[in-house]
Amino acid sequence: MYNIDMDSLDLEKTYDLVVLGGGPTAIACAIYAARFALDVLIVGKIFGGLIATTDIVENYPGITSTSGQGLMEMFKDHMNSLNIPYITDEIRSIENAGDYYVLHSFFQKFKAKSICIATGSERRKLGIPGEAEFAGKGVSYCATCDGPFYIDKVVCIIGGSDSAAKEALFLAQNVRKVFIIYRKEEIRAEPINKKKVYENEKIEIINNTNVVEIVGKTNVERVIFDNGKELEVDGVFIEIGSIPNSEIAQRIGVKTSEKREIIINRKSETNISGIFAAGDVADAPFKQAITGVAEGVIAAYSAFDYLKEVKIEY
Amino acid sequence: MPLAYIFTKLIRDEMIKLTKPVELSLFMGNNIEDNENVRSVLKIYEESSNELLSIIEVSDPIIAKNYDVKHFPAILFINNEGKELIRYLAKPFGAEIRPFIDAISTFSGDPNYYESVIKENIEKIKPSIIKVMITNSCAYCPEIITFVNKFAIASKGKIKSVIIDIMAHPDISESHDVSSVPYTIINDKKTFIGMVGPEEVLQELIGGN
Ligand SMILES: Cc1cc2nc3c(=O)[nH]c(=O)nc-3n(C[C@H](O)[C@H](O)[C@H](O)COP(=O)(O)OP(=O)(O)OC[C@H]3O[C@@H](n4cnc5c(N)ncnc54)[C@H](O)[C@@H]3O)c2cc1C
Repeated sequence: MYNIDMDSLDLEKTYDLVVLGGGPTAIACAIYAARFALDVLIVGKIFGGLIATTDIVENYPGITSTSGQGLMEMFKDHMNSLNIPYITDEIRSIENAGDYYVLHSFFQKFKAKSICIATGSERRKLGIPGEAEFAGKGVSYCATCDGPFYIDKVVCIIGGSDSAAKEALFLAQNVRKVFIIYRKEEIRAEPINKKKVYENEKIEIINNTNVVEIVGKTNVERVIFDNGKELEVDGVFIEIGSIPNSEIAQRIGVKTSEKREIIINRKSETNISGIFAAGDVADAPFKQAITGVAEGVIAAYSAFDYLKEVKIEY
Repeated sequence: MPLAYIFTKLIRDEMIKLTKPVELSLFMGNNIEDNENVRSVLKIYEESSNELLSIIEVSDPIIAKNYDVKHFPAILFINNEGKELIRYLAKPFGAEIRPFIDAISTFSGDPNYYESVIKENIEKIKPSIIKVMITNSCAYCPEIITFVNKFAIASKGKIKSVIIDIMAHPDISESHDVSSVPYTIINDKKTFIGMVGPEEVLQELIGGN
C-alpha cells in the first residue's frame, strides 16, 4: 500500500534495474524504467529527498506552485500507479557479482542487472564551535521542519544560495525577524526570489560576514561573526550547500570529481558498465529537481539500452 | 485542487486496498472539539475500507487508565491479546496519511519488511518505547513513523511506538525540550534529532540492553 509494497517485492529476483534514492531523480528514473517494461525496484533512505524539505516549488514546469512535499506526493501517486515497489532502506555497499550486482543493506540484499545511483547529497555542516552542541537546540538544517518552533522569534540563515533565500522567505511568514548572513557581497538566489527577499521587511541581509561561533546556555542565544560583532538570535538555520552521497559508488570504483560528484556522460553512464547515476549526486553544474528528473529519465533509457545489449538470460 | 480534497481522495484510494479486517481504538477525552477533529478523520478511513476497518470509541476512564492513556484523543493499535503496539497522539491527516495506512495494512497482517530481522533479534531487544515527535510540516517524519510502527508490529508490542504531534501536545514536547523534528526518543533515554534510519534505531534497541 504505502512505501514498502511487499506484494510486488521479490527478494529472490534479479531486478533489471535497482534505483538507489528516494528523491525526484530516483522516482523519475523508476517511472520511465517501468514504462520501458523493466523490472524495477527503488531503495531509498528517505522518500521525497531534499525537495520535500522546501516550502514552495514554483519552477517545476506544469505546476505553477506547490510545496516540495506536495510535488513528491504527485511523484508517489505516479509511482504507485505503475506498481513500482519502493523500499525504505539504506544501501550500504554494492558488490559486483559478475553478471549482476548485489546491493547490501542492513536488512536485506537485492540483486540487480543494472543500477541507477540517485542518492543526492547531504547538507553541508559549517564545522564551527556550537554547531553540533546546539543541533536540535536552535541549530537546524530544515526550515519547513523546524520553522514552527520559532514563531515571533529572531532567526538567522547562514548561506546565500537560492535555497537559503527560499528558507528565509518561508521563515519570514511566522518569525519576527530573519537575518541572512552571507560571506560574499550579494546573495546568489534566483532573481525572482532575490527580489522577494529584498522586498520583505522582516528579512535583513548581512553581507561579507562569516559566523565563527554559535553560543548559548541550553539553547542558541547568539552568533559571533568573524569581525568580532555578535547577533542575538533564537535559531540558526544552516544552508550552505551539500556534499554528494557518492561514497558507496566510489567504493566500487565509480569515478568522482574532486567535489565528490559522480562523473556521468550525456547518457547518465558512469565509468562502470551497468551503473548509471543522476541528479544531485552527479556532476551537473546546475542542480534542480527538474534537471535530476531529466538525468534520471536518461539513466532509465540507458539502462534499458544496456540490458538489451548485454542480453542476460535468467 | 484544495489540499483537503487531495488528502481525502488519498485515504479513499488507499483504504479500498485493505483486504483483512482491522480494529483501532479511539480513546476520547473531555475536549469535544479535539475528539471530533480526530474522529471525523478516522471516519473517512473507516468509510473507505469496505467495512474492514472498525473504529472502537473508548470513553471509559478505567480502560484508558489500564492502557495508561493520559493524552487525548489517542488512537491505539491493540492486538488480539490486548497488547498495545502503536499509539497516535496525532491526527492522521496530510503527510501522516500514508504511514498511518501503512501501519493499518501491516497491522491487518500484510507482509512486514522488517519482520524477519526483528524476529531474529527479538531476544536481544528489551521492552522498549519509541516516541516520535512530529509536526505536520516535517518532511522526514513520515519515514521514521513508517518503520517504527513496523518494528512495533513485528515485535508484537515488545517495542511500542508512540507518534506525537507536538503542536497538539506542546506539554509533551516541552517536557522533552524538543525544538527540532523529527525527534525520536528511545526509552526516554537515547534521542535522535532529525532523520534516523531503521538500522540505527534497531541497533540502539539491541545495544541499549
Ligand atoms: C531548501 C531547498 C529548496 C530547494 N528548492 C528547489 C526548487 O524550488 N526547485 C527545484 O527544482 N529544486 C529545488 N531544490 C533542489 C532540489 O531539492 C534537488 O535538486 C533535488 O532534490 C535533487 O534530487 P535527487 O533525487 O537527485 O536528490 P535528493 O533529493 O537529495 O534525494 C536523494 C535520496 O537518496 C537517498 N539516499 C541517500 N543515500 C542513500 C543510500 N545509500 N541508499 C538509499 N538511499 C539513499 C536520500 O535519503 C534521498 O531520499 C531545493 C533544495 C533545497 C535544499
